[in-house]
Amino acid sequence: MNTALRTPRTSLGAHGIGLLLVAVAAHALTVWALPRLIMAEVLRVTQNEGRASPGGVLRPPPADHTARRIVMPSPDLLYATCSLDVSQRPAQISANIDYPRYWSIALYADNSDNFVVRNDRDQGARALRWLIVARHAKYPVTPTENVEVIEAPGTRVLLLLRMLLPEDAAGREAAEVARQTLRCD
Amino acid sequence: MTRGRLAALYVLAILVGLGSAWLWLTQVGPSGVDAGVWRVNLLAGSPSADAYTRARVALGALLALDRRETLYYIARTDERGEPLRAQCRYRLSGPVPAARWWSITAYDDEFFLFENSVRRYSVNVDTAPRDATGHMSFEIGPEVTAGPPPDLPTRGDGTLLLTLRLYNPALTLQRDPAGLIAPRIDLVGNCP
Repeated sequence: MNTALRTPRTSLGAHGIGLLLVAVAAHALTVWALPRLIMAEVLRVTQNEGRASPGGVLRPPPADHTARRIVMPSPDLLYATCSLDVSQRPAQISANIDYPRYWSIALYADNSDNFVVRNDRDQGARALRWLIVARHAKYPVTPTENVEVIEAPGTRVLLLLRMLLPEDAAGREAAEVARQTLRCD
Repeated sequence: MTRGRLAALYVLAILVGLGSAWLWLTQVGPSGVDAGVWRVNLLAGSPSADAYTRARVALGALLALDRRETLYYIARTDERGEPLRAQCRYRLSGPVPAARWWSITAYDDEFFLFENSVRRYSVNVDTAPRDATGHMSFEIGPEVTAGPPPDLPTRGDGTLLLTLRLYNPALTLQRDPAGLIAPRIDLVGNCP
């Protein structure tokens, strides 16, 4: 008799805990997955469109009101991006950016974390030469003189070059010339 | 309880989990510190960001840099605490920020740039109008209006979001972003 009375309550309690756990898990999974899904799409689009561009680099025009791919674009910057897959081999990055204003090159992991950034003051007049490898890569990595080896936390990386755009036409032309030196191989 | 009803309850639990995450990320203000009506998230772009910060940044400011490189201050309200609106006119005023380079950009309610005839989407260290003391002083508002045109045009009747970007901020600001004497945002005249 007692057992018969307890069974429905026990069942209801177990389901209540189960429902709560499912709701919490769905909440946590959404928060965890959202930046990864967004980055996966950005990497996919950048890879598809950059494939046809010189040096594997996507070089969009300066952002205006028609730019609706990435939220909160900066209209003051000229961008260049590369989608890198370092799962099977390292990625070689090079740039000779002779530009008198602010610029930076940032690397983003597939969860959107910015794990490296280098700006014009950091780099100075030196040419930038990077070899980007996956942290747990199984392929051999041979250090080379004047090439900096950078370890990525995962196998997919987004590179983003930012260059401050001046107002004058000559300055904008200089920015475009400097942007063309970026190569992602 | 029938098996069908139980399955429906579990589906409902999943929807509650998804919905609560979405509401939390989109409706609850981002964490961070305030400088006047501006808020800056100290972990945006950082590998040490928590999962909520990372998700919010992905939704509203994807591909941010860390605070050594750039500080992003965001304003959604004016000095009275009222939400910024694209159909209202505002005056921004205050000292020039201590950074190598800075800009203030206006975004619409979808976080994109406002269409306008002069193709002006931001004011920056080079273009910001100054007053006699050297402080920035300029107006943001709808393009079609009586009187002088705004320095930074908006359009429509949705919400307005302002972003102040500081590139290579001074060390004092990197250490204490709340110490910024941020631009005031005051409503000019009446708002329709």
